[in-house]
Amino acid sequence: MITFTARKQLGSFQLDATFTAPPGGITAIFGRSGAGKTTIINLVAGILQPDQGRIAVGGTVFCDTAGGISLPPERRRVGFVFQDSRLFPHLSVDGNLRFGLTRAREASPRLAFDAVVRVLGVGHLLSRRPQSLSGGERQRVALGRALLAQPRILLMDEPLASLDGLRKADILPYIERLRDEFAIPIIYVSHALDEVIRLADSLVVVSDGRVAASGPLTEILSRLDLQPLLGRFEAGAVLDCRVASHDAHYRLSTLEFDGGRLRVPRVDRPAGEQVRVRLRARDISLALSEPVDVSITNRLAGTVTAVVDRDGIFVEVAVAIGGSSIRALVSREAYDRLGLEVGRPVWALIKTVALDNRSLGLLRTPRREDA
Amino acid sequence: MLTPVEWDALRLSLQVAASATLVSLPLAIGAAWVLARGRFWGRRLLDAVVHAPLVLPPVVVGYLLLLALGVRGPIGGWLDRTFGIRLVFTTAGAALAAGVMSFPLMVRAIRLSLDAVDGGLEWAARTLGATRLDVFFSVTLPLMLPGIVSGCIVAFASSLGEFGATITFASNIEGETRTLPLAIFSAIQSPDGDQVALRLVILSFVLAIGALALAEVSDARVRKMLGRG
Amino acid sequence: MTRRWLLAVGVFVLAASADARLEEPALTVFAASSLTPPLEQLAARARTVTGARVRFSFASSATLARQIDAGAGADIIMTADDTWMTYLADRRRLESGTRTAILGNRLVMVVPADQPIVVQLTPRFDLGRLIGRGRLAIGDPSHVPAGTYAREALMALGLWSTVEHALAPADSARAALALVERGETPAGIVYESDAALSSKVVVAGVFPDTSHRPIVYEAAIVRGRDTRAARAYLAFLRSTEARAVFTDHRFTVK
Repeated sequence: MITFTARKQLGSFQLDATFTAPPGGITAIFGRSGAGKTTIINLVAGILQPDQGRIAVGGTVFCDTAGGISLPPERRRVGFVFQDSRLFPHLSVDGNLRFGLTRAREASPRLAFDAVVRVLGVGHLLSRRPQSLSGGERQRVALGRALLAQPRILLMDEPLASLDGLRKADILPYIERLRDEFAIPIIYVSHALDEVIRLADSLVVVSDGRVAASGPLTEILSRLDLQPLLGRFEAGAVLDCRVASHDAHYRLSTLEFDGGRLRVPRVDRPAGEQVRVRLRARDISLALSEPVDVSITNRLAGTVTAVVDRDGIFVEVAVAIGGSSIRALVSREAYDRLGLEVGRPVWALIKTVALDNRSLGLLRTPRREDA
Repeated sequence: MLTPVEWDALRLSLQVAASATLVSLPLAIGAAWVLARGRFWGRRLLDAVVHAPLVLPPVVVGYLLLLALGVRGPIGGWLDRTFGIRLVFTTAGAALAAGVMSFPLMVRAIRLSLDAVDGGLEWAARTLGATRLDVFFSVTLPLMLPGIVSGCIVAFASSLGEFGATITFASNIEGETRTLPLAIFSAIQSPDGDQVALRLVILSFVLAIGALALAEVSDARVRKMLGRG
Repeated sequence: MTRRWLLAVGVFVLAASADARLEEPALTVFAASSLTPPLEQLAARARTVTGARVRFSFASSATLARQIDAGAGADIIMTADDTWMTYLADRRRLESGTRTAILGNRLVMVVPADQPIVVQLTPRFDLGRLIGRGRLAIGDPSHVPAGTYAREALMALGLWSTVEHALAPADSARAALALVERGETPAGIVYESDAALSSKVVVAGVFPDTSHRPIVYEAAIVRGRDTRAARAYLAFLRSTEARAVFTDHRFTVK
């Protein structure tokens, strides 16, 4: 469990944030540039001191201005992955990796050197110098270095921000592996919603130095009032699904969620595994009755629970489907024409095409241990 | 090949330059650190004092050392009474004079490289469990190495040629403080000293070239170690 | 704007050089450093007598002689040792017939004024005990006249071997005096005239005249600088008035 309360003045910027994060999994701190995300993570690490506040991780109090407690960074046992990797240029990759390990002074470290090297795939780079590595390789080494310091929590400050799209896609799986193989809680700072959706279990939304919302990811994302903070065209919902079956002939998979089923392009996961699906509001149409003579495969029955105006041209409609909630973006004209209102039963229509691999993320396997 | 006088002068020059450089080094690193990172009243004053030997005439520096460290001076007197240590007329005194004169050069070179060290790397090391002292020795100092090497070379070379402060403070005692520059001076003073002076000048030249070569080699080594160039 | 600056600089340069041309003749005197007090004291009177402004350069006779040999612009040279005057004469740097002996001096042993003692400078004197683990300040015997006299005297008294390796050779008699003044050495050998002008040292003993060659201060005009002013200066040095001042400063007059 992470409890955070802090007030900090930095020039003209004022941070006044409070949130708690669950003890395990990935907690994302999300917001626009300059919202205060990096300030928060620096306060947790001890790189900054709050003017006022209390920060505790897993029962250990990192700092408490009221009680005069302040642990220096080296005593907090946090593993920090920086945006610019910050590998030591005078050491080899091996030297960098072992830097935190030797200082952890554990006789038999829980996060072992060989295991970390294997999981992050950096074994062939050990004798190289950081300067000769690519950006993606550097971040993987940075991940490994932070892990090998035997931290109680991993802090990542926009670790993928300086990588291009392809490299990002390469590294994301490694971060997921960290979460799965080593069961270590992670705080992940990012301004990229797609990273957050793919990785996070819980979300802290930061805006102008304040926490706008915090809680489980799916819950936060389904809240219409947070739309401006999350970005209009990325608007949508996230569903936690389970792989039900695969259709070999049509190369499709069926996913089950609390409320129904989705047919998606083939997912390379065995049946029974958890998958997270992101449904963009702009990809969902609404109908008053179930259309059958239509190419759209996914047709889900639900009820309108909320409506929010978007610029006068569009409206965003929250639809409850079973125990889940999704959002659809339709024109105001269509909304009025169909006579939609809160409480009205509707059909949500989602093209299979809209649910491609990029929308899909992986959750932990059920074998995980909760921290 | 070399007369005893010449050997003495060469030996003393190397001894004085080496000890001046080695003893100054930790102090110069400390001074560079305090000047680069300290935030306290009197920092500018300290900066001025450190750089004073650079702008004062060497003889003045020698004289000030004499006032402070001569047998009747506040520090020199205490050293004599407590430990029986006297610095005037000794090789240690010559090394002190040379060290003081070359100190600002060393501090400047080291401070430049200290400023160039990325503070972000130091924070990264802290999060990995290193205390402040540990960070200094395992991250900051290695990254400062080019500046340190450069500072040492400059200080060594400067000490080889030091004259004014040495002759004023340590005097010109053959076998104790008569380094190459002082030996050349003495030779010039004596009638029929021209031959000796010439030989000593050639010796100084050879020494200078040797020092330059050493400088090049160390520079290349350090670059390689840091993975640059 | 630039033209005005140039004009200003030009005027300044002219004014400075004009000032130089309108000066009275100057006489440059190179003299052994031990002569500094009396010669400076006599400078004003010398100007009236010779009609020339007197400029001095005081250093050890060796340094001065070498400088003149290398072409330094001195009019008059005064040495503390005939060796260096002969050096110049051999190299034909002196105006013939102008070399004269002016003064004499005595050699003394001095000690810091706060530790006064009196010694007898004889072969039985325990110099080693006086020096202790310190050093004896003298002029550098290899080229400073005061030093050569000192070595001579010590050798004559059989004391040289005791202190040969515990010397603090200075570049002039005055520098040796300064070492004793500061207490850096427990004792030193300087001219009586030097000891007289410092309140921080006292004379512990006088070396017998028999222990060294006579100390003779000679003066001469440098070759090619034979002017009325130069001759007038030399004559002035032998005047009654000058001799009185020299005696005051504990020189002996010839």
